[in-house]
Amino acid sequence: MSYSILIVDDSLPMRSVIKRTLKAAGYGSSDMLEAANGKEGLDLMHNSWVDLVITDYNMPVMNGLEFIRALKQEDLLKDIPVVVVSTEGNTAKISEFMDSGAAGYITKPFTPESIRDLIVSILGEVDYEEDLDDGDDDFDF
Amino acid sequence: MKKILMTAMMTSISEVMETMFFLPVEPGPESTLAQKGMDTDTLAGCINFSGDASGSLVIVAPRTLVGEMAENFMGESIDALTEEHFSGTMTEMLNMVCGNALSKIESGRPFELGIPEIVAPLEKFETEVFTFVATTQSNMAVLLQIDRYIDSQIGQ
Repeated sequence: MSYSILIVDDSLPMRSVIKRTLKAAGYGSSDMLEAANGKEGLDLMHNSWVDLVITDYNMPVMNGLEFIRALKQEDLLKDIPVVVVSTEGNTAKISEFMDSGAAGYITKPFTPESIRDLIVSILGEVDYEEDLDDGDDDFDF
Repeated sequence: MKKILMTAMMTSISEVMETMFFLPVEPGPESTLAQKGMDTDTLAGCINFSGDASGSLVIVAPRTLVGEMAENFMGESIDALTEEHFSGTMTEMLNMVCGNALSKIESGRPFELGIPEIVAPLEKFETEVFTFVATTQSNMAVLLQIDRYIDSQIGQ
């Protein structure tokens, strides 16, 4: 099963790490879209279908919380699950994300397993043999 | 208060460096950048924070160490990395270290992080005393600056 996954983070290295983690988790055949902030992510979602969004919180222009709130205002986008990956680890901030409609939350620094487990719980298991065939995964769980 | 914050930062540096960059670290002595030979060929980043205490965290690392971190972080060979990867690795490390550290501290109001930035040149830090952290082959320098405290338990 192939998905379209949007990664929203102002850090190019972090977007690379999340992509690599998703590939290693079996989502190698999925489309990976990237945006550097919430506004870019929103613009992209107006033009491309997305099954899942993974977003940072602390970004310039439009942060992760503003991005989620904007998504939830739009009928066509409001049901797309959003996972927040952020350094903001305090309970009040996490509650704010979840109350705004986030489907899950992962605190940085994270392990590949924590991302995989949460994404699988949202999108479902993938066919590992099929998805690992793209050959450029370089770490294992 | 500064001691509590600094302890949390050092614990966080260890967690972030080992979890995300696969580099063990060991706290070292305090010194100026020049005394440790870290005033050239380095990359420096800064992140501001506010909450019960407001201030900034500055980290300076040799470019060779940042390259090693970027390679480990992204699983790419150094030849494939651009300046954006180097600066992005430094700012993301600062973001993770500071956010992770502040989440460990109980405070009256939640800490907010600024957007991490690359700092250059380093002249304004030449008299500052940094805490050094040793990795496998080099050191990085850490400076915690507190601008003000809000009246609460954390400032006692």
